[in-house]
Amino acid sequence: MTTNTDTRILVWDFPTRIFHWLLVASFAAAWLTHEDNRFLDIHVFAGYLFLSLLLFRLAWGVVGSRYARFQTFAHRWPTVWAYTKGLLTGEASRYLGHNPAGGWAIFVMLALGLLISLTGLTVLGGEEGHGPLAGLVSFDLGEGTHELHEVLSSLMLGVIAIHILAVFVESFLHRENLVRPMITGYMKGRGDGEPVAKHGLLGIGIVALSIVAASTYFWGYMIETQDDPYRIFKGPTLPDNALWRQECGDCHLAFHPSLLPARSWVKLLETQSDHFGEDLGLDQTALDELRQFHTTNAAESRLTEPANKIIRSVPAGEAPLAITQTQYWKNKHRDIDETYWKNPRIKSRSNCAACHLDAKAGTFEDAAMRLPDIK
Amino acid sequence: MKRKSLLLVIALLATSGANAGVVDDLLRQYQAQASQPFDAERAKALWTAKHRDPETGKDISCSTCHTADLRKAGEHNTTGKPIEPMAPSINPQRLTDAAKIEKWFKRNCKGTFNRECTPQEKGDFLTYFRNQ
Ligand code: HEC
Ligand code: HEC
Ligand code: HEC
Repeated sequence: MTTNTDTRILVWDFPTRIFHWLLVASFAAAWLTHEDNRFLDIHVFAGYLFLSLLLFRLAWGVVGSRYARFQTFAHRWPTVWAYTKGLLTGEASRYLGHNPAGGWAIFVMLALGLLISLTGLTVLGGEEGHGPLAGLVSFDLGEGTHELHEVLSSLMLGVIAIHILAVFVESFLHRENLVRPMITGYMKGRGDGEPVAKHGLLGIGIVALSIVAASTYFWGYMIETQDDPYRIFKGPTLPDNALWRQECGDCHLAFHPSLLPARSWVKLLETQSDHFGEDLGLDQTALDELRQFHTTNAAESRLTEPANKIIRSVPAGEAPLAITQTQYWKNKHRDIDETYWKNPRIKSRSNCAACHLDAKAGTFEDAAMRLPDIK
Repeated sequence: MKRKSLLLVIALLATSGANAGVVDDLLRQYQAQASQPFDAERAKALWTAKHRDPETGKDISCSTCHTADLRKAGEHNTTGKPIEPMAPSINPQRLTDAAKIEKWFKRNCKGTFNRECTPQEKGDFLTYFRNQ
């Protein structure tokens, strides 16, 4: 038994340290990618990794080594209170592993993390139609959960900030660098200290598994070709129509009906003789079939995420004749630099296929848009 | 009425089979209304001849969208959509559907020259295309 206070003893086994830093990395990756639809693939992978790590930690909190076990740092409230008061007066006693207040922060972070993962899967299933909950949650539930997912994540960021601040305060009070132990695993010993086992193999296993998972998920990007780009998210196969492809797909992409409300399509077809300066010259039979196809699959049918959002963004009395005039479209493309629209390789806002890999399919999935190289 | 009967003729012609047949039949129709034999060189000059579009004030020609080289892929001048090469030797889908050819002659001549093309011009164009 090591009793000498001067010796350094192993407190954080390898799996616990690996867990800590991978969790930091996955949260950071998810946070940094959450606003841009182009990076939903990274965001979702980071989320899966985050959840897997949390589940591992739950198990390790039960069967893991001494300082990693929940039992060791699940202190009662009076202890936590006494410790916190001690911090203010500078008399807080020193703990090996997590101190009482830190222990509570760990529980809060674990709980928040699980809630963030659960709400994230709900949003992914509802709004995007992907992940394990696809088909089980409605679009509206997914969208309703979106905000909760964001609020919880902001809360998490707040708790993380407190956690980091506390680590520094403690390090200062006890004149002991508390960041280093999370890297090396070693802390200065204390009377009742007992070094834990390294569990090196398990730690290596976690790292290896994460690398394998990431490689599998992103491998397609390594082997994709210009003609066959890799898409992680594939949308549903939307209703198709030969006449539509033929009559509406020659001058520009055949815009899928789900991208505008039915009233817009009706108006577009009514004004076909002056269609953005072109006379489409369609006969009545063709017009009837096209109207039928467009109105049954219009945005109201809510076939895709964009359909759901477009139908909401168009005010009831309005019937825009262009997708690019809807508020939703404008918001989504607000951040794209003007030089792109002026570039001859793109030419027009309506040239969706210049940036969206799945424009022809009409699904407009996340992570399927690539700004072309215009230099 | 005129359009309908034209479509009927085209439909009947289309059933006659081979792709060469589609173009031959159209050429025969056009020749009946044209005064001179068809000339690919004349079409080639017209293909790249620039006309000012009164609406945009910009110069436009057939080659604006289709490029001057019929064997190359072009691009729609306003929407940016790629357009497959016009030469049937590169793109076997070309000139296989009389209704499509008529439709686009009508549209593109109006869009480019602000008038419909004469049978003489259409015949010239087809003669020019088919040999590419
Ligand atoms: C003869 C060529 C031609 C054909 C055929 C054609 N369009 Fe268009 N369309 C245009 C042009 C030109 C624009 C304007 C594009 C631009 O400004 O970028 C346009 C724009 C549009 C837009 C607005 C795109 C945006 O900015 O959001 C819609 C929607 C549309 N067309 C639907 C149709 C439908 C439906 C059909 C079939 C019934 C059709 N088009 C057939 C030439 C055509
Ligand atoms: C210059 C490239 C470019 C063009 C052209 C373009 N987009 Fe986009 N689009 C993007 C980018 C980039 C994003 C991601 C924006 C973000 O989230 O920051 C996006 C996002 C979207 C989204 C949101 C996707 C989602 O799942 O939330 C939709 C829908 C969409 N575009 C539809 C269209 C349609 C329809 C057209 C053609 C009328 C079009 N876009 C033309 C680049 C383009
Ligand atoms: C504004 C762009 C534009 C211009 C200018 C233009 N075209 Fe076209 N043309 C198209 C498009 C778009 C198509 C249909 C898409 C396709 O077939 O690839 C087409 C198709 C055609 C076809 C159909 C060929 C077939 O059987 O597949 C012919 C013939 C044609 N064009 C001739 C002409 C001629 C002749 C001119 C000049 C008077 C001209 N075009 C000018 C855009 C244009």
